[in-house]
Amino acid sequence: MSALIVKIISFIAPLFAIIVLIRAVRSMFNGKTQTEIWGYIQTDEKVLRITHWENIIGRTRSADIHLSNPKVSRVHAVLIRTAKAKWRIFDIFSKGGVRVNGDPVGASGYPLNDGDIINLSDVSVRFRDINERQRSEIESRRVVTWKNVHPAVTLLYLSVFQIMILLEHCFTAASENVPEIALGFVLLILLEWFCYFLMRSLRKTGFEVEIIAFFLSTIGLSVIATSVPTEIFRQMIIVFAGVVAFFLLGAWMRDLDRTKTMRIPAAVIAIGLLAVTLVIGDVQNGAKNWIFIGSTSIQPSEFVKVAFIYVGAATLDRLFSTKNLIVFIGFSAVCVMALALMSDFGTALIFFATFLVISFMRSGSIATVALAVSGAGMAGFLMLKIKTHVAKRFAAWGHVWEDVYDTGYQQTHAMSAGAGGGLFGKGAGNGWLKDGFAANTDTVFSLVCEELGLLIAICAVLAVLSLAFFAVRNTAQGRSAYYSIAACATASMFTIQLALNVFGSVDILPFTGVTFPFVSRGGSSVLACWMLLAFIKAGDTRKGASFVVKAPDAKDKEAKA
Amino acid sequence: MRKVSLRSSFALIMALLVILGLCIYIIRYINHGEEWALYFDQATSSCTYTLTDRNGVVLAKMGNGEKTYAEDADVRTACYQLVGDYGGNVGTGALSSFTKELSGYNLITGIEAQDDVDLSLTVDSKLNVKAYEALNGRNGAVIVSNYKTGEILCMVSSASIDPNNPPTEIPDGAYINRCISSAFTPGSVFKLVTLTAAIENIDNLYQRSFTCNGSFEVNGLTVTCTGTHGTQTIEQALANSCNCAFGQLALELGADTIAEYAAKLGLTSSHQLDSITTAAGNFDKAEANSASLAWSGIGQYNDLVCPYSMLRLVSAVANGGTVVEPSLLGVSDTESEMLKGSTAAKIASMMSYNVTYHYGESTFPGLKICAKTGTAEVGDGQASHGWFVGFLDDDKHPYAFAVIVEHGGSGLGSAGAIANAVLQAAVND
Repeated sequence: MSALIVKIISFIAPLFAIIVLIRAVRSMFNGKTQTEIWGYIQTDEKVLRITHWENIIGRTRSADIHLSNPKVSRVHAVLIRTAKAKWRIFDIFSKGGVRVNGDPVGASGYPLNDGDIINLSDVSVRFRDINERQRSEIESRRVVTWKNVHPAVTLLYLSVFQIMILLEHCFTAASENVPEIALGFVLLILLEWFCYFLMRSLRKTGFEVEIIAFFLSTIGLSVIATSVPTEIFRQMIIVFAGVVAFFLLGAWMRDLDRTKTMRIPAAVIAIGLLAVTLVIGDVQNGAKNWIFIGSTSIQPSEFVKVAFIYVGAATLDRLFSTKNLIVFIGFSAVCVMALALMSDFGTALIFFATFLVISFMRSGSIATVALAVSGAGMAGFLMLKIKTHVAKRFAAWGHVWEDVYDTGYQQTHAMSAGAGGGLFGKGAGNGWLKDGFAANTDTVFSLVCEELGLLIAICAVLAVLSLAFFAVRNTAQGRSAYYSIAACATASMFTIQLALNVFGSVDILPFTGVTFPFVSRGGSSVLACWMLLAFIKAGDTRKGASFVVKAPDAKDKEAKA
Repeated sequence: MRKVSLRSSFALIMALLVILGLCIYIIRYINHGEEWALYFDQATSSCTYTLTDRNGVVLAKMGNGEKTYAEDADVRTACYQLVGDYGGNVGTGALSSFTKELSGYNLITGIEAQDDVDLSLTVDSKLNVKAYEALNGRNGAVIVSNYKTGEILCMVSSASIDPNNPPTEIPDGAYINRCISSAFTPGSVFKLVTLTAAIENIDNLYQRSFTCNGSFEVNGLTVTCTGTHGTQTIEQALANSCNCAFGQLALELGADTIAEYAAKLGLTSSHQLDSITTAAGNFDKAEANSASLAWSGIGQYNDLVCPYSMLRLVSAVANGGTVVEPSLLGVSDTESEMLKGSTAAKIASMMSYNVTYHYGESTFPGLKICAKTGTAEVGDGQASHGWFVGFLDDDKHPYAFAVIVEHGGSGLGSAGAIANAVLQAAVND
């Protein structure tokens, strides 16, 4: 009887997963983004619109304010609007210099007011700010989230999905574990509704990335419930801490100046953490990346991921500063080397790939990327030479079925169990892979395939990817290059992790043993994922959705009424 | 910002690559999912199933964490290669080959962990025990089927072991089902192939007489016969299993024709017994007018035949030229014409004549048996392989059989006796 109920639920649950995912994605991509005009540059011939808060003025095609005069440098100056609606101009490597009303402008910038004359070399333009009325018009025009897809309804679908998974566990788990599993799921449902009402009370309406994260956390919780049911309460505490960290980091990043001042300290703390790990860290599964404090263990490299993006992103004026770039490259090199020393090959790879993305977004100079790639190639070669077990994994790649009891053990067992689940799974708690080595981390995709089915596993993959598409979409209207770079770098980091985890375990890529964002078991990893999510959330500029764009004040509303 | 925004497409490309990878996985899953899912013992370990013989005798049972075999030690031993074991030692055993049926796998629902599966084989374990007893410790294979329905009634391979008490030293070849996974020198049973070719290619075959002086010369080499048979008709030559007659027919027909018939009668290729692939045989074309060609036409030279293929051949002869593909699951509904009905009838009557004229009906009391012996020389001074293949021309008991006893000596004396013992049990049950 109970087997039949589990069967029936396992056929319905994927439907709810698909609905949740579709509703979240529809809401993310709801409505067109319209070009916003924040000011004007008047030249002798024409009036150019300023459509971003951070703008490059120059001769290059990709400049936001494109001046074709040959005396203007390719990237001449950067024009930035601060959150307090003040404008500033910065001189970037220009040959002819920048002056405002005759005063020279340095790299540290110069304040701009409506009507000021800017001289770029000897090209003279006038700056026009928009007035209060135009500003409020832009505000009111901004895309309103959840216009057609209400978050509460999506959350309701998610809750039904969660209850279904919980029910499956209730039928399949050992009876002594049932209360704890039930408590874990109920706490998760309470937490997400609490977050929703908290956001509503702050008049924030954007809730898509949170829903995606809660959806993935549900699957993560199911993985814990089946493989280590006694840890489920601990996992919930971590998710709770992650949500808190997500909001704190988001609130912190509202102020860009404050954010920027903490870059160097963050880098120092990160390097310190890695250094401490190298000295007092413990080795687990071949990688010396654990620190034990009493009975709790943490994986500092996970938190360094957050610092890495925090340090790596930059505002447009700093983007072209050599010093800024050198600090970033140096920091990256130290991180990657430290991880290589710890034998944490997978994480080193993630850092390196993210480094490439950030480098590309920052400079785009092919030389930089080429240098980095060749450097990585050498580093990779060295690691393959030194780390025989890594070389072995590469050798096994594509041949896992030829050695199912040694180098191909984890992958073949994962593929076998995963295929056994079919589209709908054997039911949560019913698999055999859960007892396998590192099944709830390295081969978690197959564990999900086996128990919850291929459909839900695909939903989990697409959920992570939806965050990436969302981050990319938001860059078009990014408030600052800092947020855009941070969001895209995070999206790339999630994507790389996802690819290495999923495709490594099913022999499409070499097996590296990294975590599936939000789903794999691991306190540090889950906590770091929530913190990283704040970067994606910060890239969101829709009205009432973002950390960054303030919701219209109650006062404003009253005044309008 | 435009620059940053343009470059963000990098993240987009990575996301699209992941979707591509996911598509690759899904395609591989569709193509190999079943293979993957059933690869490990764990795949079926969560299932509860019972494997029985045709009369409901339990051969293997898995469930509630327990894995058991048949209760009776004789049944376990006689059915070892048929059933296989939980360790997967016998690749063609039912436990390894029918995992799909046992686990109820399909692409959509995966492995049905909860269902109680009852899988019944067409084999009668009592006949297996009888056959194994008759083999009496000698290595060999016994396979019996119903040629009208394709059901396999008996399938025994020796040497065997009791999976509950495996000996410390596993006998050579105990993990191999000789009925379907081995190919042996056929000796005179191959004369059925040369005979088929002769019936369909030599017009005056029945008018001819074949003279046997105990041996004949080809290109300076001697082909010897088992006796000196004098002047014979083709029927008598087959009953005498005369090497002179069939060696000369082989020379006359040529290697190409015999090879064509060996292939047409299914002896050189492998077959599908349900999801099991059987062993292929071999026929090398020797030079024209050589002693090797003569030997190849009488089942020596490099000829090899799998007992299962022999069973298919005699089934077709018994069934008017059409073979009903044998099955262990009783689900066979594929038939194919192997040889012309008229040819089959001629061969059948000659195989019947073999028994009345030479083997002696009294050797097979009460059985309307049609058969052909084989005594295959294997060289190295070892005793010959004894073969006995044929069928019962009996509508109530339409059984075809192939028996081989490795190094058993005379085909009639070794394999023939085993065939009689098993068929008596099958008919008088």
